[in-house]
Amino acid sequence: MNNYKFEDLSVGMSESFKVTITQEMLDSFKGITGDINPLHNDEAFAISKGHPGRVAYGMLTASFLSTLAGVYIPGERSLIQQVETKFSSPVYIGDELTVKGEIVELVESVQRLELKVTITNQSGKKVLRGKMQILVV
Amino acid sequence: MTREEVLEILTEIFQDVFDDDEIELTDATTADDIEDWDSLEQINLVVACEKKFNVKFDMKEIQALKNVGEMVDTILSKVQ
Repeated sequence: MNNYKFEDLSVGMSESFKVTITQEMLDSFKGITGDINPLHNDEAFAISKGHPGRVAYGMLTASFLSTLAGVYIPGERSLIQQVETKFSSPVYIGDELTVKGEIVELVESVQRLELKVTITNQSGKKVLRGKMQILVV
Repeated sequence: MTREEVLEILTEIFQDVFDDDEIELTDATTADDIEDWDSLEQINLVVACEKKFNVKFDMKEIQALKNVGEMVDTILSKVQ
C-alpha cells in the first residue's frame, strides 16, 4: 500500500493497476447490494438485449476507484470526499480493466487532491471516466 | 473590492456549492443557518473561494472562522 503525504504529491503524478472482472465478483455484488436486475444476472436476458453476456454492474466497476484512492494514490492517508463518474461503455465478465488516476489539482489549504480517473478495458476502450476529490489526512 | 462586493460574490459561491439560489448571506450567517453546511462542504467553500478570489487560506484561518462576516473580513484582507 502506498502512503503518500500531501507534500509528496504533484500535479501530473499518476498510479494505475489492473483487475479482471469475474462471475464471482458479480455474484458477490448482487449479494451485498440486492440488485437482482437480470441484465447483470441472467445471461439469456443480457444476450436478448444485444450484449455478449452478463453486463457487469457499473457500480462494481466504479468500486475499484476506492482501491485506487485507498491503496494507490494517495494510499493509506486517503479520505474520499467526492466522486463523479460516467459509464462510457459496458463491462463484461472476463474483461481486464486498467484503473488509472492522475492528479490534476492540489489544494494545500485543505490538503485535498483532485484525480482525473479513467478505467479502460483490454482493448483500450474507456469504460468509465470521472473525477475524485480526496483529502490527504 | 468593497465589503458588499465580496459578500455578493460569496453569496453566489454559496448558492453554487449548495445548489440553492434562495441562499442570502449576512455577516451573521453561520453553519447553523444552512442545513447542508457541514465539514465537507466547508472544504468545498474554501476551495471555491480560493479559486474565485485568487487567494490562499491556511488551515488555522479556516478553523477560526465563526461566521460569514469573518469570512468576508479574511478575504478582504487578502485581496487588498
